[in-house]
Order: sequence, then structure tokens, then C-alpha cells
Amino acid sequence: MLMCRDLAVVASDYIDGELSPGQRLSVKVHLMMCRHCRALVNNLRNSATVLQKHSSQQVNEDYFRRVKLNIAQALQDSRDKNS
Amino acid sequence: MVKTGESSARSGDESSLIKRLQAGEQAAFDEAVRAYTPSMLLVARFYLDPASAEDAVQEVWIKVVQAIQSFEGRASLKTWLHRIVANQAKDGLRKAGREIAMDFSEPLEPALDSRFRTRGTWSEPPRLKTTESAEQWLESGALKACLDKHLTALPEQHRSALMLYEAHQHKSEDVCNILGVSASNLRVILHRARQRIFLMVETFRETGKC
Ligand SMILES: [Zn+2]
Repeated sequence: MLMCRDLAVVASDYIDGELSPGQRLSVKVHLMMCRHCRALVNNLRNSATVLQKHSSQQVNEDYFRRVKLNIAQALQDSRDKNS
Repeated sequence: MVKTGESSARSGDESSLIKRLQAGEQAAFDEAVRAYTPSMLLVARFYLDPASAEDAVQEVWIKVVQAIQSFEGRASLKTWLHRIVANQAKDGLRKAGREIAMDFSEPLEPALDSRFRTRGTWSEPPRLKTTESAEQWLESGALKACLDKHLTALPEQHRSALMLYEAHQHKSEDVCNILGVSASNLRVILHRARQRIFLMVETFRETGKC
């Protein structure tokens, strides 16, 4: 029988559909009976959404400029070497 | 260049970008830098502090100017770049005599684990309402600021793995290969980050403190 802590351990796998059909069924049965675990699953699902929305990486323009300058220099060097 | 099944499935855009890079076209490098640098930084930051990660990616781009000539198209350009970054960053770690500790074996955050009795039932159940949605969390300006703060405070490795996972459209094998973590470790990272966000929102809702 699945305890609440066991459910907490697999909650993300349940949310992402990574459980086997058998495990999935026992999680569903537990959730029908346990409002605390329902609250946990709902909140972790919200957390997953929040994490997804915040996953874009900002790079500052100054860094891009420096990288481009260095590449321009390296391209120039390799042209000089080949000519 | 021998065409493999994988490379013939490559989008025309990527093939033409690669040809232009190999021809040493500056504009092509500008495009590639813009497209691939953000995720390359994520890979580097899995191993290194932010400043060293920036240096490592910078060095990789300079190497790529030459190395692109030997790019055979067995992997996608992105995967190829990520692999070079990971190697460069691991080199940096070795030189600094450091190793990264990876203990992703515990599936529960200690602050959540301590809320269960030994027999596995809740002693301190979740106090947040079941009906709240992520949109409601993000509606509150103060809560959103707090979320941002906590996301920044996630362990660097966790954050970079998470963001790569999202950036790769959840292709976890790619992320695992590049970072050298197992699929189950990646699942644990994901799960623990979600728990941290949940615990944070719960505290915020109760105390108004971040
Ligand atoms: Zn329960």
C-alpha cells in the first residue's frame, strides 16, 4: 500500500507521465482518498509550470559583442595564416 | 562529407549555416553566436562559476573558428557545440584541481521529508489550497519577485540542468549525455527544484516573507 511519503517521492514522475501503468494506478487510488497528497501534486504541478516559464536564459549584449570581436579576430588570424 | 541518415534529416537552414561557417563568413558566426551561446553558457555553468563559464564559452567560440572545418555533421551543430563546451569546462575543473560533487540520490528535499512520520504519513501536510493555479501564483507581483529570487538561488548545477532540459524540449537523453548525469539523476534534480518552489510559495503565502 502506497504511503504519502512514497507518493511524494514519485509525484514528479506521475505529473510527467513517467510511471508504469501499475504505479500510476496506485497513485490515482491514493489521490482519490488523500486530500493532502492531492494538494502536494497540484502544487508541484504549478511549480513545474513556473519553472518552465522561467527557463529562458538572458545573455547580456556586452558579452555577445565581446565574443563576436574575438571571433572576428580569429577569422582574421586564420586568413592571414592562409594567405 | 559523408551524409549520414541523421545529417540528411537536418534542416536546410542548419546545413547552409554550417557551410557559411566553414567558409569563414563573419555574419554566419554572428548568427550562430546569438542562437547557441545561451545554451552553451548553461552547459558551462553546470561545471563552473558564472565568470569562468563565460570565459570557457568565449574560448570555445575561438576554437570553433578552426574546428568547424572538421565538423562532419554526425550530431546536430548544437549538440556538437555543447560537447566541446562540456569538455572545455571539465578541463578547466581538472586544472583547478576541483571536482563536482553530484549527490542526487535523495528524492526529497530535507524540508519536505521532515514533514512525514516514520511510517510515511503526513505530520505536517501541505497548507496551500489545492485549487490554486500557477497563473494565480504569477499574478501576484510580490510572489513573482520571490519566485525569481528562489530560482536564482537554486544550486547552479540544478538550474543549468533544468534550463537545458527545458531548452531541449525535454529531450532528457541529450541533456544527460552532455552533462554526464544519469536519467534518474536528472529526474531527481527536476523533482527537487519543484519541491523547493512549492515550499517557498507555501512560506510566502503564510508569512508574506520571501
Ligand atoms: Zn497521501
